[in-house]
Order: sequence, then C-alpha cells, then structure tokens
Amino acid sequence: MKAFAYINPANEKEAVAALSPQVEQSMPLGGGQDLLARMKDYVTQPERLVNVKTALESTVTPVGGGLRIGAAMKMADVAEHPEILRMYPAISAAAIEVGTPQIRNQATVGGNLNQRPRCWYYRNEEFVCFKKGGDRCFSPQGENQFHAILGAGPSFIVHPSSLAVPMLAYGATFRLAGPKGERLVPAANYFTLPRQSLRMENVLAPDELLTHVILPAPGNVKSGHYEVRYKASHDWPIAFATVLIAMNGSVVKEAKVVMGAVAPVPWRSAEAEQALVGKSITEATAAAAAEAAMKNARPLSQNGYKVDVAKTAVKRAILRAAGIQTA
Amino acid sequence: MANSEFDWPAKPSLVGTRVNRVDGPDKVTGRAKYTFDINRPGMLYARMVRSPYPHARVVSVDLAPALRMPGVKTALLVRDFANSKNNRVMFQGDEIAAVAADTEEHAMDAARAVKVEYEVLPHVTIVERALDGTAPAVFNGGNVRDARPAQAGDLTAGFAAAAKVVEGTYSTQVITHTCMESHGTVCEWSGDRLTAWISTQGVSGARENFASALGIPQANVRVLCQYMGGGFGSKALSVGAEGLMCAKLAKAANAPVKLMLDRKEEHLATGNRPSAESKIKAGVSADGTITAFEAESWGTGGAGATSDFPLPYLYQSKNRSRTHKNVFTNTGQQRPMRAPGHPQGSFHTEIIMDELADQVNMDPIQFRIKNLPPEAPNAMWRSYLLEGAAEFGWSKRHATGDKTPGPIKTGMGVSINTWGGGGRGPSPAHCEITSDGGVIMRLGTQDIGTGTRTLVATITADALGLRASQVRPEIGDTAFGVSALSGGSTTAASISPGIRVAAVKALDALKEKVAPALGVPAASLIASGGRIHVENEPGKGMSWADACKQIGPQPITADGDWRAGMSSSTTSGAQFAEVAVDIETGIVKVKRILVLQDCGLVVSRLTAESQVYGGVIGSLNFALFEDRILDRNTGQMLNPNMEWYLLAGMSDIPRIDVRLKDQPERGVIGLGEPPTVATAAAIALAVRNATGVTMRSLPLTPAKVLGAMRQTRA
Amino acid sequence: MAKKDDSPDGLKLDRRNFFKTTGLAGLAESIAAPAEAAAQSTPAAVGPGDVPVRLNVNGRQIDLMIEPRVTLLDALRTRANLTGNKKGCDRGACGACTMIVDGRPVYSCSTLAIEVQGKQIRNVDGLATGDRLHPVQQAFCEKDALMCGFCTPGFIMASVALLEKNPNATPEQIKKGLDGNICRCGTFSRIFEAVSSVKGGQRG
Repeated sequence: MKAFAYINPANEKEAVAALSPQVEQSMPLGGGQDLLARMKDYVTQPERLVNVKTALESTVTPVGGGLRIGAAMKMADVAEHPEILRMYPAISAAAIEVGTPQIRNQATVGGNLNQRPRCWYYRNEEFVCFKKGGDRCFSPQGENQFHAILGAGPSFIVHPSSLAVPMLAYGATFRLAGPKGERLVPAANYFTLPRQSLRMENVLAPDELLTHVILPAPGNVKSGHYEVRYKASHDWPIAFATVLIAMNGSVVKEAKVVMGAVAPVPWRSAEAEQALVGKSITEATAAAAAEAAMKNARPLSQNGYKVDVAKTAVKRAILRAAGIQTA
Repeated sequence: MANSEFDWPAKPSLVGTRVNRVDGPDKVTGRAKYTFDINRPGMLYARMVRSPYPHARVVSVDLAPALRMPGVKTALLVRDFANSKNNRVMFQGDEIAAVAADTEEHAMDAARAVKVEYEVLPHVTIVERALDGTAPAVFNGGNVRDARPAQAGDLTAGFAAAAKVVEGTYSTQVITHTCMESHGTVCEWSGDRLTAWISTQGVSGARENFASALGIPQANVRVLCQYMGGGFGSKALSVGAEGLMCAKLAKAANAPVKLMLDRKEEHLATGNRPSAESKIKAGVSADGTITAFEAESWGTGGAGATSDFPLPYLYQSKNRSRTHKNVFTNTGQQRPMRAPGHPQGSFHTEIIMDELADQVNMDPIQFRIKNLPPEAPNAMWRSYLLEGAAEFGWSKRHATGDKTPGPIKTGMGVSINTWGGGGRGPSPAHCEITSDGGVIMRLGTQDIGTGTRTLVATITADALGLRASQVRPEIGDTAFGVSALSGGSTTAASISPGIRVAAVKALDALKEKVAPALGVPAASLIASGGRIHVENEPGKGMSWADACKQIGPQPITADGDWRAGMSSSTTSGAQFAEVAVDIETGIVKVKRILVLQDCGLVVSRLTAESQVYGGVIGSLNFALFEDRILDRNTGQMLNPNMEWYLLAGMSDIPRIDVRLKDQPERGVIGLGEPPTVATAAAIALAVRNATGVTMRSLPLTPAKVLGAMRQTRA
Repeated sequence: MAKKDDSPDGLKLDRRNFFKTTGLAGLAESIAAPAEAAAQSTPAAVGPGDVPVRLNVNGRQIDLMIEPRVTLLDALRTRANLTGNKKGCDRGACGACTMIVDGRPVYSCSTLAIEVQGKQIRNVDGLATGDRLHPVQQAFCEKDALMCGFCTPGFIMASVALLEKNPNATPEQIKKGLDGNICRCGTFSRIFEAVSSVKGGQRG
C-alpha cells in the first residue's frame, strides 16, 4: 500500500477534526478488514488514516426502549451481546456469520455498514469502473454471477454489509458526525442506489463519521434471518434475508422483508410484505411471498440462479420468523 | 531372487507403524525456517514488474523512476525488450523487470514506479473462440495444435453392437496450485559462489537450473530447502523467472536479496492445471459391456503449453478413438499439478460410466467391474470396489434421483484411480554413526510436506533398532548429495532402498566393532530395542550408547543407493462419496468419503494417511470450489486472491475414512498423487444420484447445479 | 496521470442536501453537542516515514522504527525476526498470520503494527516454553495435524485462542472457531482431531 500518515484521536471531536483538513485524502480506520485490503490493491489510496477505534464508542446503551450501538463495537461483541440477541435477534444472527472469527474480532459496526463492494471489477486495479472514476460498469458484459438482480444500474454491485439488512428491517437510524454537527439519517435513507449516487453507496460525506446505530424499541415482532452462502467456512452470501412479522392472532398484521446481496442497497421488498399481510404463514404462503419478492428481478447473463437462491432465502426467513423449521 | 539382508524385514519394528512426524515440533513452534523466513544480514527485498495485459508488445521499459525511489538499490530487466525480437508479453503476469530495495514496502513502491510502455495487442483467452477461428491469431503456427490421435478396433461395429448410446460434453476447469508458501528465493553471493534458499521440490534440479541460467559452474551453487510450504508440482521444473532475477539482483546489488511472490502473482504466473473439455459418445451392450468409446477433447494449458489427459481413464473398450486439441491462450502456462492428467481423465470418464450403467439398469459398481482393463498391473479395483461398497453401505443407495420429500437430497457415488509412483536411482544415501551414539542419514532429497524426513528417520531407525527421534535426517541441501526432485510420487520409492542399504551397512560395520567386546561372531548380532545383542539372547549384548563407544574417533560411514527388489510401481484405489444437495439453493455438501488405497509397503503410516486425507481434500476443492475466473472481454483474472478463489475451510470438510491396503511384498511405492485423482468424480456422481441430474462440469457451484436442474426440467 | 482509484475527487460536500434527513424529534436526547470548528484539537499525525512503534510481543517489549503502513505481520517477520507466523495471502483470507491480540485471534496481515501498541500480542514464536510444547502444539504433533506446516502456526494460534475462550468447545464450535484458517495440504481432519483432544487446557 501507499505510505500514509497516521492519527490516533482520543474522542469523536478529535476524530472529526482529523478528517476535515484533508478531506478526501483522510480516511477513518475501523477494523481495517476492508480498508487495508483495498489499500494493498491500490483501489483506495488515502494520504492519512484516522484511527477511530478508541475515538468512537464501542458499547451498547439502552435508549428510548431500544438500543444505541457505538460504531466502533466489534462484530464479535455484537454477535455475543445478550441484549442485542434478545431484542434484535436477526442482527445477532447476521453478525455471527460475518467473515471468520479473526475478522469478527477486528471488524467494527461502522466499518461493516460502510465497507465498499466486493465486486471483482472494483477490487482489481486493472478495471477502471464507475466507482474509480471510469466510464463503465464491467459486470453486465462480463462475469456477473455475483452481481445484482434488483435495483441496479448503471452500477450492478450488491451491497456487501451483513448488518445493514437486519438494521434496516428493525428501523435503525444512523448518527453521523461532521464538522458542521451531527445528523440522524434513517437506514432507509442512508444507502443510495447507483442512479442516485454512482461512486458511493451511501450519503456519508468524506468528512463525516458514522458514530452510532440507534435502534428503536423492537415492538412485538418475530424475527427470522436466513443466509445462503456456498462455502460454509468463509464466504460472502449469495443471498440473504431478514423478515420481521407482527401477528394478529394467527395471521400477519405487518411484515418487513429485507434482502441482502441482491441489490446495491439492502433491499426492502414491499411486494413480499404485501403478500404476507393478512395471511397465516405456511410453506405455501412463504413461497408465494418469496416469489413476489422476485417479481421485478432483472438477472444479468450469469446470475439468474440468484433469483432462485434469493427466493429460498426469503421463504426460509419467513418460515423461521414463524418458528417453523427449515433446511 | 535370493534373500538379502537389505530386504525389508518381515516383521519391521518401525516401518509401517505410526511414527510422529519428526519435524513436527519444529513446525508447530515456528522454529522451522522456510525460504520466506530466511533473513540474511544486509538483505534487500525484491519485487517483479509484470504485464497487466494478456498480450502486448513491450515498447520500452524505463527503470530510472524506480531507481530514484527511496531505498532502491538496483533494478534489472528480464530481457532487453526494446532491442529484441522477443518483445511480447504473452499472459497477464508475464515478467518484465525486477527491483530490489531496503524494505518490502520500498520495493513495492519502486516496482510500481517502473514505466512500461505497452502496445496492447489482441488476445485469445476464450477457448471456444480459439477453436472456431474467431479469435485473433496470436501464436506462431496457430492457436490450436492437434495432439496425436489414437484409435483401436472398429468404432462403427462397436456402435452397431450397442444396445444403448450415450452422448455428452464434459468439462473441468483451470485451477492453480495455491501453495500456502508462495514461490521465491533468497540469493546470496560470495564472490562467484551462489547460495540460494528456494521454496522448491528439487534442490538438485534448482542447482542445475541456477548454474546453467547464470552461466556458472554447478559446483559454485549451493541450494537449500529445509522446509517449504507446498509445491504440488509447481515448484519442480525450474527456479522460475523470479529465482533467476533474484540471483541477478543479488549480484548487481552485492547484497543478499529475497524475492517472494505475492498471492496474485502466484495465481497468474506459477502454473496451473489445464482445463479439459470433451465430447464423448459411448455405446453399451445389454450385458453392460462398453462396445464403443469415441472421444474428442481439448483444453488450454496457457500460452504455448499443452493440456492432454488420459481418456478413457482406466475402463477400456475394444473399439475406441480419441483426438485431442491443445488450445493456446494468453494465460499463465500450466505446470504439473498433483497427478497431472488423471483428475481430468477420471472426471471425464466416470460421469459417463454412470450414465451408461443407468441405460442398461446396472449398478454402477457392477458396471465398473465389468469394464475394468482386462490386464493391468496391480488390478485391485474389483476387490476395493466390493470391499468399499460393503463398508460404505452401498446397498442402501437408491436409484438415480433421491425421492425423499423435502429440499435436501442425498446420494452416493464411486470412482477408481491408478498411478505409477515407482522409484529409481541414482538416489544415494550416506549414513554416519558417531561414537556418541548419534546417527545421521544424509541425502540430497527434500521434504515438501509429505513426510520425507520422517520416512528417512523411520527406515534408518528401523534398521538400527532405534526410535525415529534418535536419527538425524539431513536433507534439503545440495551439499548433502544429489537426488531427484520430489514429484510424480517417486520420492519414497526412489530413496527408501538406498537409506535401508546404507543403514544396514552401517550396522554391519558397528557389529564388527561390538562383536569382539562381546566375544561373539558379528553375524550373530542384531539391533533391536535400542540394543545390539545376540539374536534370541537379549541379555548377551550392550546398549546402543555403549556399542557406539566402541567406534572410536572416526565415525562409521556407509553408503547405499537404490536397488531393485525393494520398490515397485503402480497403485490402485477406489473412493466413495456421499453428498447432501439442497435443491432450493443448489448447494452441495459432502457428508463423507471412503478411500481404499494401496501403495505397496507402507513405510511411515501416519504421514501416509495424512497424504490420503490431503489428496481427497484437494480433489474435493477441485469438485466444488476452485476456479480460475477470467473476464471474458479483457482476459484478465478476476479472482487472483484467496477470497474469490475458493478453497474449503474446516466447516466444508466431510468425514473422511482412510483404509490403506498394505502390500508389503511389493516394496515401497509412492502415495502423494493417487488419492487426489478420483474424489471429484465420486462427488459429482453422488450429486447425480441425489438430484437425478447429471453434472458434467466442474466446479459444482450452486449456479451450475441449479442451472442443470432447470435444464433437466425444461 | 489521474488516479484511477476510488478517491471521491470532486465529490461535493453538500450532496447530503439531496437526501432527506428525517427529523427524529421523537428520539431521545442528542448524543453529543455539535462538533466545534475544525481548527480545534487535532492530535498530531505521524508518518508517513519511519516512526517509533513499541510492541509488546510474547511478554517482551520490541522497539521498532517503521512506517505506519507496516502491518503487524511484517513488523514481526521482517523487523523482529519473529518468523513463526507466515504470510499466505496478505488479505485476511487464509489465516496463516493469525496472532492473538488482547486475547482475541486476529489476522496480523490486516492489522497495522502502529495500532496495536499497548496491546498484548502473542504469536507462535512465544507459545512453547523452551522445549515444552503447549498442549495444542503437542496435540498437533501426535495427531499429525500438519504436513508442509506453513498454515500450522496460524491454525495453532487460532486453536489456542479458541480453547482459551472456550475450553470445552463442542465439535461445532471447534469447526466454526477454525473457519478462518485454510490448509492447502488438507490437514483439516487431523487438526480437528488434535484440537478436540485438548480440553480445558489438558490433554484428554
């Protein structure tokens, strides 16, 4: 990687200040599991790194019936936190599947949410794509087996964050801190589609830090989370889903269906949600909702199979939310 | 042949038993120094400059910007591109220059500062386009070379005699060796003498390679490799461009230089297993005999390299024909990869075997037995298939297509394998016994992770009645003698005889020293349990330590070499696989593998078993995960890493049961390659059995499994 | 030549105005007072050239002069001659570089040396006590859980960390605990046996 200067701020104020003077050349260093690899591949070449692991909070605080999670909290700690498990089980379920034990011991919440895409055109220096100032996305005409089937164009990346999906489902808000102050952005507005923002995947400005995830009270919902990955040991999911259902007796009153690894943002499926409301959950109704989730899927030349896999992920997440055993 | 004292003992004390790997403690503590670990005083770090393009003309190379960078000591061209007819680079990763600097980081900065001007040329990386003529003509003499065709019998008659005919196309992918330790060298000159530490499968061959490429006497070169992190065939044939450049940089800088490749370079430029594709048409008679086998195959071994493989593999038909085309592409050249040709041959043959068996309603095992080669050395497959079937529970195997309700389908598959693994001389070994009781067995071979050190210690200690830990193997250094490279599963069979001969001769000399002190004839003595004593009279003897005190200041030395009668060649094996396939995700999980494998006389049982586990896992990776993926438009590799170049981890490993079939009467035979041949086919056939869908292409990704199921439903 | 990386050249700082920032008046207290002007309290940056870095490795203090970009792995292997742990992929995928930092297994290739100052770093070079092997090392030798040995130090550190945290790890926990390490020679089956045989720090 290119040589860089290093700053170790003691608190959030210092960390924000450290980013500002050299905006666009300073980057925050969380767990480093994404950033350092990008730097070694010369995809990202900051002039300096601002270590935020001590500057930002890494703890969980009860707030307003919900929880506030510091962005510097490690993935391993999220996965083992009893209150997160009790109140937002889909977040725990996602956290424990991220990467490997070693990665989870370093990866931070903020880093996971803000990590850049895994797309191999983006990650390989030889391809100057949209996200690197180039004039094209290489995937539609190329090797797109891992690219998006929903919401994509002109870039076809899938959003790489595991936490983003359940956090969106649970109605998270992200606190951002910058030189002009703080702002609170709901997860639904945080992640951006390529047609809104081609180079970046979210609204975070280069001089801002994501400092906290604020989760509202979960309410009386049942959670289901299902991930499909090829290698059981260490792999990126092909498709995954978080489903939250609020029941009225034996039928669904309200549902949230959010999918991961299918679109450039964590993808909320109104179609699947509508297909569940008023129904009791069975293999058939879950399958129908999963089918609805894929109604507008537009596969590329190599990723048609993702439609099948995403359907399975949604269906099984629904069944799990209902407490029904799945494969 | 008359019995000789050198023959393997009927009741060995150590040979064939489980001896702990003698270099285990060094490896688990980190004391073992691999080439990557060698740090020499004043050492510089070097890095290669490589072409990012699959095909280009190098117009100019400007090293000056690199030479100006901090810490840079020297930079050299691989060749003078500007003034050479040989000014093209032929694959992404092809070597152009190298720089040496005081730190790795500075070397990387400098390598990136080298200014290379390219004229990018049209490339060929898609095999189909090379074959149909739509690819640019890149290679002199054409992009496609026909291999020599083969035929036998009368195909027309064969097909006429067939009750059923099956046709299919099959394919296996390019995979890379992905050794955990990358390729690389540390070179240090002393005047005109070169010492080179290199991650290699052959120190002797490396010495010869350095010497001839540098134009210096072989006697001026010493090559060391005490520990190396895997080769699998990629570190056998040469020291590589990086080795030579390292030596040249060290000479130019007058300082030791370390040049180790990184993971991306490994994937691009250190070899691979060629791809293989085939169109097969086979006929089978009602009684289950293959009456005709017609195969066209092709594949790419990269830029100017071949891709042939045996087809059909093992099973024979009287009437057969085979053609093969070597397709050249602008990709890194193939290098032998663990059992070269056999994994491809196995997959391309075994799949159609089950398809044919189904056509005549025969059990796949019975069908295989019916079509085994009528005469083959060590033809043990029938016995292994039947024995394995019983142990595996084959009788519970359902017909093609698991009818169990639910998304998880299970199935079983079977396959067989063969390999040579014979040995030869010269493979000299030198034994020393010193008066303090020490034993040295010295030879020029190397341990590439297979357990050669342990084999050396075991054979020696067995002959001398000692524990393996009492023997010091000295290997991995050209100063210790000449030996062949560790490849082709030939090491054990090549070195074992000479080791035993040297040990036995050394013992004979020790007996001569001990006999007078005991007042008995030397010929009455044996070595056993740490003592030298009269045979059948353990009390009449002395401890090893006391025996060696009789030696005096000049150690006993004895030499041995390979001799006939102690090793042979040709192994056989059968493997069974059980899988569970989730048909709603396309994901294949292997539940268990059973291996029956012979290798003649098992010398070091623990390390031999490990070789089998390792081969099976390697083949599982071939079946499910590994794939060198190129962008179809630019021809560049998209997964030159260990994130998207998939390799199994702990949770992906099935239960593996290893049954070594001892054949002590056959002497030592190699084992490294046989177990990696057939697993992939067994897995793919298990998937077929589970899903009812024939998987004809590796790797068995979810995309392929779902796609095949979709196609079958359509 | 323009940089062809993902630096947001020309990215407008005010693009946040394009997007809705939902008022969350219903939410409880604001977390921090708005940050003051950027000119205030910025700690000093070090580097990019060599800077002093003090590491606590295997209970000993190591003082280095290295660039901030040097990873923990490279700092130990090339500047401190602690070559036990290896570089396999340098991208946090193979695990050969696994070291234990403040009790947790991490990829030392994906860790900057400068950011682990003040932490307790343990690597394979400090695991054995003289000739006495750690129970995990001993188990690896007895079960032949290694072949070429290049991945072995990483597996051993991952196993040690796993068992220190969970001395009676179940088979499932052992597998998941070692899922961050790759072996090309194929020693997984015996590694699993070896680690399974070490319970509660004892051999059993």
